[in-house]
Amino acid sequence: MVFSTYLFIFYFLPLVLLLYYALESLSRRAGAPVERTTLALNAFLILASYVFYGWWNPWFVWLMLGMTVVNYVCGRILGRPGLGRDSRFWIVTFAIVVSLGTLGFFKYFLFVEDNLNQVLAWFGAGAFPVFEIVLPIGISFYTFHTLSYSIDVYRGTAPAVRSLLDFACYIALFPQLVAGPIIRYNTVADQLVSRSHTWERFASGVVLFILGFAKKILLANPMGRVADAAFEAQSLSTPDAWFGALAYAFQIYFDFSGYSDMAIGLGRMFGFEFLKNFDSPYHAESITDFWRRWHISLSTFLRDYLYIPLGGNRKGSRRTYFNLIVVMLLGGLWHGAKWTYVVWGAYHGILLALERLRGKRSAYRGWPRPVRVAATFVLVLISWVPFRAADLREATSYLGAMIGQGRSGPGTLVMPALLYTQGTLLIMAIGAAVVAWPIQAHDWSREVTWRKALVVHPLFGVSLLAMFSQAFNPFLYFQF
Amino acid sequence: MRIDRGAPIFVAATFLALIVAPGLIQAVFEIRHGERPRALDIFLRPPTARNLHAYERSLEESSLVIQDLRPGMQYLQWRFLADTGEKAVVGRDGWLFYRPSVRYLVEGQAGAPEGDFTDPLPAIQLFRDELGSRRIRLLLVPVPNKESIYPERLAGRAEGAGVVICERTRRLLDRLEQSGIEYVDLFEVFRRARQQESRSDRERLYLARDSHWSPKGVRAAAAAVARRVLEEGTLHQGDRTYAERLVRVRRQGDLVQMLRVPQIERALEPEIVTCSQVIEADNGRPYHDATDSEILILGDSFLRIYEQDEPESAGFLAQLARELGRPLTSIVNDGGASTLVRQSLARRPALLKNKKLVIWEFAEREIRFGTEGWKIVPLVRSAKTPR
Repeated sequence: MVFSTYLFIFYFLPLVLLLYYALESLSRRAGAPVERTTLALNAFLILASYVFYGWWNPWFVWLMLGMTVVNYVCGRILGRPGLGRDSRFWIVTFAIVVSLGTLGFFKYFLFVEDNLNQVLAWFGAGAFPVFEIVLPIGISFYTFHTLSYSIDVYRGTAPAVRSLLDFACYIALFPQLVAGPIIRYNTVADQLVSRSHTWERFASGVVLFILGFAKKILLANPMGRVADAAFEAQSLSTPDAWFGALAYAFQIYFDFSGYSDMAIGLGRMFGFEFLKNFDSPYHAESITDFWRRWHISLSTFLRDYLYIPLGGNRKGSRRTYFNLIVVMLLGGLWHGAKWTYVVWGAYHGILLALERLRGKRSAYRGWPRPVRVAATFVLVLISWVPFRAADLREATSYLGAMIGQGRSGPGTLVMPALLYTQGTLLIMAIGAAVVAWPIQAHDWSREVTWRKALVVHPLFGVSLLAMFSQAFNPFLYFQF
Repeated sequence: MRIDRGAPIFVAATFLALIVAPGLIQAVFEIRHGERPRALDIFLRPPTARNLHAYERSLEESSLVIQDLRPGMQYLQWRFLADTGEKAVVGRDGWLFYRPSVRYLVEGQAGAPEGDFTDPLPAIQLFRDELGSRRIRLLLVPVPNKESIYPERLAGRAEGAGVVICERTRRLLDRLEQSGIEYVDLFEVFRRARQQESRSDRERLYLARDSHWSPKGVRAAAAAVARRVLEEGTLHQGDRTYAERLVRVRRQGDLVQMLRVPQIERALEPEIVTCSQVIEADNGRPYHDATDSEILILGDSFLRIYEQDEPESAGFLAQLARELGRPLTSIVNDGGASTLVRQSLARRPALLKNKKLVIWEFAEREIRFGTEGWKIVPLVRSAKTPR
């Protein structure tokens, strides 16, 4: 199920909210202890989340359930007092292998097989039959949730969860299930046991949900149409190529940050508080700064569970650069089994290493701030080209068009009809204003005032109307 | 400090009311009309992915809220943002273009649908060979997309470019030539026709808000095809005489109708076009096909317009019959010229009796977007023929 659909907004969400709060109210009136009430609410949320997740394909629920049970059992064993060091190591290794093995099989098997066949073809050998494997949606995200739990318990930075229901709720919680943010177990462990439900929190969740929804419907989707037209074009002029890349930069930001806002907003409606996932990334003054602001839950996950275990910056400069590049390469590959993502990750890794070489500062650090921000944005914009392109050939040709090496053809002549319409120019301008705005949705929504109430409901109304007139448009990060 | 809880309660309550109301209104409406609320349909079928998605689609399609509000929103988007949604692209001077045709012109192979039957040539070759074995000649008539003939009406950047041919079409035409498959080059015919057009000419080769050709385009194409048929010598000029009667019709345009927004339809004046209705000279009756004709025409909505639509007997079929002096046999399927018309012919092989010539018309965009692609359709089924 997708947040920005008729079914979710008008059937699933009201029904789940209604039953959730009815259960909470009944339990409170019956005088049940808070922990027991929360357990019952978690059980209900698991059920709702399995319906939400199973909507794509009911069989996927079993896979998630299996991963949940394996990691829960491993966590319970790890949490036993007196367990030997070696045993702990093998248990956590087992949990990691199961999680990453499952992710690897569903996400990378085909990629490995394809590439292997290409290598075999170079040597004139016959190819392996290629099996089509359906990628369970959201597997990249919930695998990271299970990993974060097992490793935190192993490290002793989080207690082993006692209740399977609490753990299943953490893994399956529908607001963050399919496209993040990646929630670290230790950041929600307490909330899974006890959380408060207030009008203020609920309303702030509503405001954030609406802002995220508006970003997706009013900004990301129209920008997506422009980006699609540019990236699927056979020939592009230089300005068209830059305009298309800009549209994609806006699309991916509004799409993903919109999804994160909706997820965090929904979390608040159910009494949870998740950490911010975006912090005005296009205000970044360097690539290092960009990664402190973009998909924060992924960058901190990679830092804590990959970069630091690899040695971080503790093993000398060369090893630090190597670690940065490896982490970003794997971060790229996490997005999808395609060479374009590897190139995207490598590009960011190399830029991060270069900045590290200069003391975490960009080559243009001496320039005025607007120039630093603009220069960083251009570097990021270039990186979105391989990220969006269907393959490396398309990425190369698109980048070629951006530097004036594009071919001209009949399509180039009519591209303005798809790119520079009144609507896209207006939405691009609004998008630019939202990007430049110093206040972010996450912070703006914390306190709900009458003035904000008068802004968000008309915005919700307009977004709903726009949703009714748009074709089905799932979130970009679903594919990851 | 006193905390004002009014605003949070207002926000939460209004939000809940907004998300609960549509489902509730729908259920009340359905119950009042003696129906079971559609939302309960979820319990009627096993929860497979297919059933769940069908349920979601059905909820959305039957939604009163969407049905009532969508047209208004689309009208506002068209009016203030020049956005007509997924079906059409707004051009210049009030012209509309069919989005798949624009995509056809703009996109490279990256946007091509994956799967079998994407290459037209094998299907065309087999069809030509099978007809050849029956001593029937095949003549292809790819009809240029409106965007290829009037690119400047789509974007100012194309001003002065004249008629354009995208790489995919050019490649197919070259391959047809290399394979010895006959075709009529309407790009060239329309290019010449456009050279004689002046900016003040009211009648163009294509309609402004329709994806199809105008009566002028029909006449130009029919004359070119007839010329080609007669030049090759398979058939001679027939002895049936037809006359013409001018009929004015008002066309809203299929691109406007596709939007399904009454407010837009009301805001746009229909185009008035003058058609030449072909009538039989001796009795004044409008032209009609004849199944015993020596010519069979297969094609899509480019054959249907003015022929089966208002005013009737003024489309390509009638104009070609008039040019050749003989009636024709036809199989017409909207959007189905790539495969469906051949399937239809395969089911009715008797239509090939007496035939000396098959003319196969298809819209340029069908090269990529043809319904069901370009399937291999054997006319006589045998175990050896590939499918």
